[in-house]
Formats: sequence, C-alpha cells, structure tokens
Amino acid sequence: MSSTSVMKTFAETDIVDTLIIGSGAGGAPLAAELARNGKSVVVLEAGPAFTAMGHTPDEVAARELYWLHERLSAGTNPQAFGGNNSGTGLGGSLLHYGAFMPRMDARDFHLHTETGKGVDWPFGLDELLPYIERVESFIGVSGPAHYPWDPSRRYAYAPPPANSAALKMRDGCDALGLRHADGPAALITRDIEQPHFGTRHGCANCGACHQGCRNGAKSGADNTWLPMAVAHGAELRPGCFAHTIERDSSGRVTGVVYRQNGVEHRQKCATLVLAAGAVETPRLLLTNGLANSSGQVGQNYMTHVSTQVWGEFDEDIRPNRGYPSLTITEDMMRPKDADFVGGYLVQSLGMMPATWGQNLARSTTTRGPAFARALAGYNRSAGMGINGECLPRPENRVTLSDEKDAFGIPKPLIEHSYGPNEWAMHYHAARLLTQMWEAVGAKDIRVIDRAAHMIGTCRMGTDAGSNVVDPEGRSFDIDNLWISDHSIFPSAAAANPALAIMALSLRTADAMLKA
Amino acid sequence: MSPPPDRPEILDSDHLSARTREILTSRLSVTEALPRTLSLQAYAVLDALLPVLLPLDEILPPGTDISMTARIDAALSGPRDGWRFADLPPDAQAWEAALLTLDDATFAQHGLRFIHLAPDLRGTMLDALMAGQIGLDREGRLTAPQMKRWAGDLRGEVVDCVMSDPRIQQALGISSSLTGGDTVFQGFKNVGPDSREDFEPQAIAPLTNMADATQ
Repeated sequence: MSSTSVMKTFAETDIVDTLIIGSGAGGAPLAAELARNGKSVVVLEAGPAFTAMGHTPDEVAARELYWLHERLSAGTNPQAFGGNNSGTGLGGSLLHYGAFMPRMDARDFHLHTETGKGVDWPFGLDELLPYIERVESFIGVSGPAHYPWDPSRRYAYAPPPANSAALKMRDGCDALGLRHADGPAALITRDIEQPHFGTRHGCANCGACHQGCRNGAKSGADNTWLPMAVAHGAELRPGCFAHTIERDSSGRVTGVVYRQNGVEHRQKCATLVLAAGAVETPRLLLTNGLANSSGQVGQNYMTHVSTQVWGEFDEDIRPNRGYPSLTITEDMMRPKDADFVGGYLVQSLGMMPATWGQNLARSTTTRGPAFARALAGYNRSAGMGINGECLPRPENRVTLSDEKDAFGIPKPLIEHSYGPNEWAMHYHAARLLTQMWEAVGAKDIRVIDRAAHMIGTCRMGTDAGSNVVDPEGRSFDIDNLWISDHSIFPSAAAANPALAIMALSLRTADAMLKA
Repeated sequence: MSPPPDRPEILDSDHLSARTREILTSRLSVTEALPRTLSLQAYAVLDALLPVLLPLDEILPPGTDISMTARIDAALSGPRDGWRFADLPPDAQAWEAALLTLDDATFAQHGLRFIHLAPDLRGTMLDALMAGQIGLDREGRLTAPQMKRWAGDLRGEVVDCVMSDPRIQQALGISSSLTGGDTVFQGFKNVGPDSREDFEPQAIAPLTNMADATQ
C-alpha cells in the first residue's frame, strides 16, 4: 500500500464518524466514499502494510497474505482453506484474489422466485448495476470488446494474452459447441496514473496473481480505494486486531478495543462498520453477543461449488505463465439438462506449482513412482474450473469453538457440507469439463472436488426476524452498526464475490451518507 | 542430459527478485541436527514413510537429497496456513500422534517397527492408512477416520516441500519463481504452448523426457 498523500491521523479519544474493521473489498470502497464526502474515517486492519514489489511468487512464503489466525474446518465437505482463505494486510483478500471479475447474473438475485429454492436478494441487478459499473471504471477491469452474454457491456482495458490453458479451453468449448470469451479480469493491460496512488503498470503476464501483484496491474484495494481514502483524510491502521465492541447504556456502539503490538487500544466512533468477511464478522458479533436477535449470525454459510478438471497435454503448457483464468463460458448459468437449480461459470485454469500439487495431492491417493510422475507432469497440465451456486443450508454455519486463540478468543468453527444440489452441480460440471478435455486430446484427466470462497453468515433482507441486516447493510438491532462484506449475501450466486462486495460497499456508503 | 549443479541455475537468473532468491536459497541448506517438532521416534517413521509416498529418484539426479524430513519437521514449528481440520488436533500434535499410530499399528500387524519394515510393506501400510483402515482409539493416537484425514495433510505438506524446492523446479523445468527481478519486472512475453523463453529452465528430470521430446 502506498499513497501520494500524507495520511491524517486521529486520536483515540476523537469520536470518529466511522470506524471500519477490515480494509478489503468490503471496507475499502466504503472508506474512500465516506472520506470523499467529508466524514472522518479510521480503518483497522489486522494484517500489515505490504509493499507490492516485496511480494514473492514463492507460494509457501506468500502465505503471509492469508488470514493466519487458525480456523477449524468441519462438516462432510470441510474446506481445505489454504489459498482460499481470507486475506490479511491492507487490501484484505484482494491482495491474493485471482481478479476474475464476472458480474452477477440477473437471475441469481431471484433464485427462490425462479426455482422455489435458495433465497432472493432484496433487490435485483438493476439496483446494483450502477455501483458495479462505478467499481469497474474506478479500479480498472479488462475484458473483450464483445461479451457474448451481455452485448451492451464495455470494458476499459483490452484482455491480457491468452495462456495455454485459455487456448485449450477455447478449443474445448468449440468442440462441444459452447460459446466462450476472454473473461472480465480486474487488471490493467496498459500503464496508467491511478489517482492518489501513482503509476500502475500494465500486466506483465507473470501468473502470480494469487501471490500478490508486484507491479500494480491487478486492481486491488491497496492501489485504488485505500489511497483515495487516505487522500480524503481517512486513517489506515495496520496491525490492529479488533476484538471488543463497546456500547452505551442504550445499546449503541461507542467504540472498539483492539490490540496493536501487544498493547490494547480503544477507538471511539459514532458509527461502526464490520467489513471483516464471512468468518471474522460473525465471530466478532458472536464473541460480543451483538446484533443477533434473529439468531441468524453465523448461519447460512455458503461457498461456491468449485470443481476443477485437469488434463495433461503433449505440448509444453507451463501453467504458471500468463493471467491464470482468462477464458470464460457463461453457457452453464442455466443448462438445459441441469438436475440442479442455479448455474455455474466455467473458467480456464493455469496455476502455480505448489497450489496445483496440493489440489492433486489432496484429491488422489496415488503414491510411489506414480505420484512422482503425476507431479512431473506439471508443465504439461492445463485445467478448467467452475464457480457455482451453493444453496444456504442450516447445517452450514460459523460458530465459536471450544478452543481459544492467542488472544483468548474462541477460534471459529466452520461447518460445510454439500447438499443434493451442490453434488448434482459438481457431477454435471465434472462430466462436461471431462468431455471438453477429452475432445481436445487431454490425457490423465483428473476431477478435483472442491469448494471455494466464504459467503453468508449475516444475511441481508427485509424481515428483522430472519435477517441480520436490512437491505442497505444496517443492523436491525443496533442502528449505528453496519456490515459491508460478503457475510450479508443472501445467496451465493455463481459469480466470484469480489465485484458484488465492492458494489455493495459503495451502496452501503450511500445509505450511510443519507442516514 | 547433465545433472543440475549444487546451486540450481534459476537462482542466478535476473528474473528472480532478491527476496525470492533468498527464500529459495534457504531451502538448499538444512542445518538441523535434531528434530525441531517431532520426537525421534515419530521423525524416524516420517523419514521411512516419505520415500514410499513420493520417491524423488526419477526426478532428481542420483545423490541429490532435498532433506524433506528435516524441512517438514521444521515447517511444522513454523508459520502455518491459518486453518486445520476440526477433527484433528493442532498440526504438530496431529503429526506426532499420526506417525506414532502408524508405528504402533505396524508393530501390531507385523511384529516390527515401521522403520524396519520392507519398502513394499511400508507402502501397503500407507495405502491402508489413506483408505481409513489404520487407527487406534487411545490417548495420544489417532482413530482410523482421523488418520485418513491426516493423510491429506501429509500429502499436501510433502507437495509444498517438493514443489517449492529450487532443485525440483530446475529439474522439472518450472519457471514459476522467475516472474521478474527487482529493477526490471519482466514477467513473461510468451504464454502459449511450446513457447519456452530462453531464461526459463528446461526439464532435465528423466520423468519429463516425454515432454522434452516434443519440443
């Protein structure tokens, strides 16, 4: 995180207009928007302030970008979080996200109305679209000149070059008669001067998006929203782990206690925004016993069905090179032969070697020379993966475990089990992607059953009895408490969540300014 | 085909940042005299298990040892990746218990400690472990379902250790560390099939001959 502005600082005794916990996709746009409108803003971030050029493609060392306070994973499909965990550091999960930036499908806002399953959002795409377009325009998103599933859409940057996996997936789509395109990617492909930040260089095709972008090409919070927030007077405080929310006798929030360098601090505030993600946000509310008159805090934890299918080719593929996930097809958003509700997006997959090897290792029990041969096939491998709807289920949730962390706070327990809809989608995708790879001559095809992303747990809706926040993100129980992250998503939808999180963040900021 | 030098060539590339070079170089020398995390008994079981799980003799030149056991033992005491399966104890404890469970189960079945078992029987024990058929229901040991779960962690840890080693990356021709230097961030100009750039390593491992032959 760097900025061309000198950062203003606030005293702990100052009552800041808005205190935000979390500096990622949920917290950063809102921080910038409120500061730009004259509000005093402090952002608490548990992780450090990284420097872009200090990022390393070494996957083991790059774990420094993950949330490292231990989470316990349970259920019949316990998530192997690893690289899919939340992020830490100024910029949050956007530091290590893949920058794949599809828009939510209009139908996914109304899944229950359409199918009788899942949950509707309290508004439709029309409501969110202006914010989506503002996000895309401000942070920089690349995409094709013609997007087959939405011809009216325009992207400001040309796509990066197609890598081996992207080219192979194009062939696979052609073989089966599926439409394909270069997908929307939150990266810039030419040098620009980003307001309040400085020079961002065009993507160098280094392929290490998940290990942190070193030249500013990937559009994160660290090189867009956060410098803007600082330029308008917001203070960013890294290394601050917030744990206690304080209230007055009427129940309104008065401030937050956090630990920085082993010392407890207290920041007073008029309004508090939780933007800590679908695990830490409910964990904060549960440990503080707040905002849970609905009993829904921590409930309805969702992921994305993220089945991958990998194959080996005769050519030298080198899957570490180039933007990892360029080719997209949206043709499976409502497949005609579906035995499930909702749909899924398909993307091509390149991957860094340890991440690729982890997926292979955890999804097979091969050993001995066969295991060595499989790993030696890295440079010949290309993958495809999906992101698909995951229905809310009562058994999937975030609760407090009996174990305490280093701060004496219960570690979160995340229970995650697929239901019939998720399994049906997984098998549908496994069949389709296998057919695509077979059609283009892939060998040693491997299906990897996995889920990704963390969604839900503080549902947004119109009814205070069954939702944690109202349709604008405000707590039904505490009028100066707001939530701005993917915990408020009523349903998972198929699209990767970052764009909708940022759009909702701007929308909640508007609501706060009007409140 | 020539064996890689002690110091893999990729470490001297100007497509490597100083930080990444330092990280990779640190993996070349392991100075631990004693296990840092595991007991001597558990460490010995792990040492006997790894070549059965993932033999590297077809990837690395003869005589090359990447000290997997020592590095995994050290990694278990280092920074972890922020999560674990709820049905397993914390990582260091789980690994100790799992390896001792395997040792005890081997003794019960064969009358020998795991390290004294012939390699093919070690492989059979590992297969049974991964299939959820080996476990002990007592304090300090893991049940069969826990052992099956731990097998995923074992496999994942081994792959992290192997794929992040510069000697392995050199031998398999992997260019993932060479994203760009500190003064010039080069990235990659070529990203399509069969378009290796001059600075990228070429595979030299016997197992990758097939790929090389097609170039």
